Amino acid sequence: MSIRPADAPGNESTQSLNEVEVGLDFRISGIDGPSSDRLRDLGFREDTPIRKLSGGRNLVCSISGTRLAISKDLAAQVFVAPVL
Amino acid sequence: MSSSAPESPALIVLVGNPNVGKTTLFNALTGANQHVGNYAGVTVAVKRGETFTPHGKKITVLDLPGCYSLRASSPDERVAIDALSGNLPGEKAPDLVVCVVDASALERQLPFVLEIIEQGHPVVLALNMVDVAEKSGLRLDPVKMSEELGVPVVPMQANAKKGIIDLKQTFRAPFPTPAPTPWFHGNGDTDVSRKKFTDRVCEVSARRPDAHQQTLSDKLDRFFLHPIFGWVAFIAIMFAIFWTIFSWASVPMDFIEGLFGSLGEWVGGKMPDGDLRSLIVDGVIAGLSGTLVFLPQIVLLFLFIGLLESSGYMARAAYMMDGVMAFAGLSGKSFLPMFSSFACAIPGVMATRTIDSPKERLVTIFVAPWMSCSARLPVYFLLIPLLLSKGSPAWQQALILFSIYTVGVISAFFAARVVRGRLGPDKTSNHFLLELPPYRLPQWSYILRHVIDRGWAFVARAGTIILGLCILLWALQTYPKKEGTEDAGELMEYSAMGRIGNVIEPVVKPLGFDGRVGTAILTSFAAREVFNSTLGILFHAEEAEDDDATTNLIRDKVSAATWPDGRPLFTPLTAVSLLVFFIYALQCLPTSAVVARESGSLKWAVGQFFFMSGFAYVASLLVFQAGRLMGF
Repeated sequence: MSIRPADAPGNESTQSLNEVEVGLDFRISGIDGPSSDRLRDLGFREDTPIRKLSGGRNLVCSISGTRLAISKDLAAQVFVAPVL
Repeated sequence: MSSSAPESPALIVLVGNPNVGKTTLFNALTGANQHVGNYAGVTVAVKRGETFTPHGKKITVLDLPGCYSLRASSPDERVAIDALSGNLPGEKAPDLVVCVVDASALERQLPFVLEIIEQGHPVVLALNMVDVAEKSGLRLDPVKMSEELGVPVVPMQANAKKGIIDLKQTFRAPFPTPAPTPWFHGNGDTDVSRKKFTDRVCEVSARRPDAHQQTLSDKLDRFFLHPIFGWVAFIAIMFAIFWTIFSWASVPMDFIEGLFGSLGEWVGGKMPDGDLRSLIVDGVIAGLSGTLVFLPQIVLLFLFIGLLESSGYMARAAYMMDGVMAFAGLSGKSFLPMFSSFACAIPGVMATRTIDSPKERLVTIFVAPWMSCSARLPVYFLLIPLLLSKGSPAWQQALILFSIYTVGVISAFFAARVVRGRLGPDKTSNHFLLELPPYRLPQWSYILRHVIDRGWAFVARAGTIILGLCILLWALQTYPKKEGTEDAGELMEYSAMGRIGNVIEPVVKPLGFDGRVGTAILTSFAAREVFNSTLGILFHAEEAEDDDATTNLIRDKVSAATWPDGRPLFTPLTAVSLLVFFIYALQCLPTSAVVARESGSLKWAVGQFFFMSGFAYVASLLVFQAGRLMGF
């Protein structure tokens, strides 16, 4: 069900949302982890553009014009790649 | 009203993600005045109302709590899913589902709409908040969207009542047939196929400007969510609220006091001396004025909570507080229920339904009554000035009030940490996840209507429960009458109330209270505000002979009261001890009833009552005895 970015060929540039820089635009390359269903329901879906707005204990990101605050544990399950 | 009645009206349900304006639409459709706010999770239970089609046919409308998908994880989401499948007790399956979406967030919200269409429901899409979406540069084409989705699409702006008539047109029978589901193949990853279909619909009917635009909300968030400035703003906002409640309310409070004072004098002058006059002047008027005088402060508190909710700041506060709540073993999700409990623990306990983790929810329910609710305010307002010299500036009073609230909050945190630790971890992990809605200008009409409703509820309570108790208390302190004496003290001593006071006095004396205060505390277990009325009635008896007692302020009377040996009864230490008691005691039967229902356990509610009241007694005892040892 879940897409494992690490297994997918050609996805070496994929990082979790925790690891990327604040203020930049990315695209979601995969969701992997125990909360992936919940994350998808909230709008974290593959290929969706995403911008990380702030880091810290909980990070704030913007997807499709909505700002969402998610915990570090959740952000670790969201993998992003640079916008091509 | 039964759903099996032969001509039961058609049932329409409003569903959608949290904070898309379902309740605003519900209010606009039904003329109801349900509480709305600008954060996710304001609606936690199903609300029912009625509306009419353009041809005058009656229709039942249900407003469901927001949910993100048909895979529910919190109790309020399950309610919404049950309503959709017709499993809600007393309701049939819906005849039409109105999916409400925020036009600015279609990419996120359409997959849920597709999920509902897959269930085979006739669906109408209410494209809400189109004004905000278009302002952000989104180019919407509702006609094209309707063609793609195969369901009617109604662009609207529910808060300005725009599009309501168009939506009502779709309520006419026959309802649209269930739409085809070209994206749904029954196998494979439906999440992916819904996402692909959503992208196609958005591509042709909701084009977003390419560049990420810096909105006003982004700019405001950079300040309000800043690790330093954010906290400065948070503390400043909270303090400003408390300060304003004190300083702004004094004018209307003086007016209400004056009004009751003149009313008492006028009625007293018109009536012959006797029991009836005593009942009206000392019982009813003095008792009610003791409660109603605090109406302005309660109205202001609800106004500020409404403003915080409506503007979108409440969600930011929850975000900021997440780290702090972690000290108590809770998350930022517990902040909203706990903050709502400052107004009243009942909506606070109900708001815990948005918490995913069952154990965190139980702990939040357990400690919520320690957030000082508005019913305690009258008692605090009565006691705080006793700690200060006359004419102290408003900020000093605000500071003390702020400290009282802080004591409640800190104690609740410690209790939560202990209880949470004992409950152990959840079976499934739950993480913090919160939508930060765009900042909006407050919806004044809804806020004002809500404030008026709450204010009226307070007045109605004063006019019923509190009035009844005032009359009962008056009777208890008037009868039985001792013949052959006019001395108020002797009469009081002989009355039923005096005897109750004598019984209670040994129990409350270690806390620094006499029998009268003890009696007032006892009556406040019926409703906290009654404490003031009881004091008003009890202490008025002593001064009935005193012609100079023209002012109607209970405070003046109690601060002049003494022990039989002449020592003042209300020292600052006594006031602190009393405040501590009121911070901790759970004196509200309706709260206990809601706790029993929401926690699904009577034991939990009874345990909470005895724990909190016992804690209040012990804390008050420690404060008074320690204070005395230190020479206060």
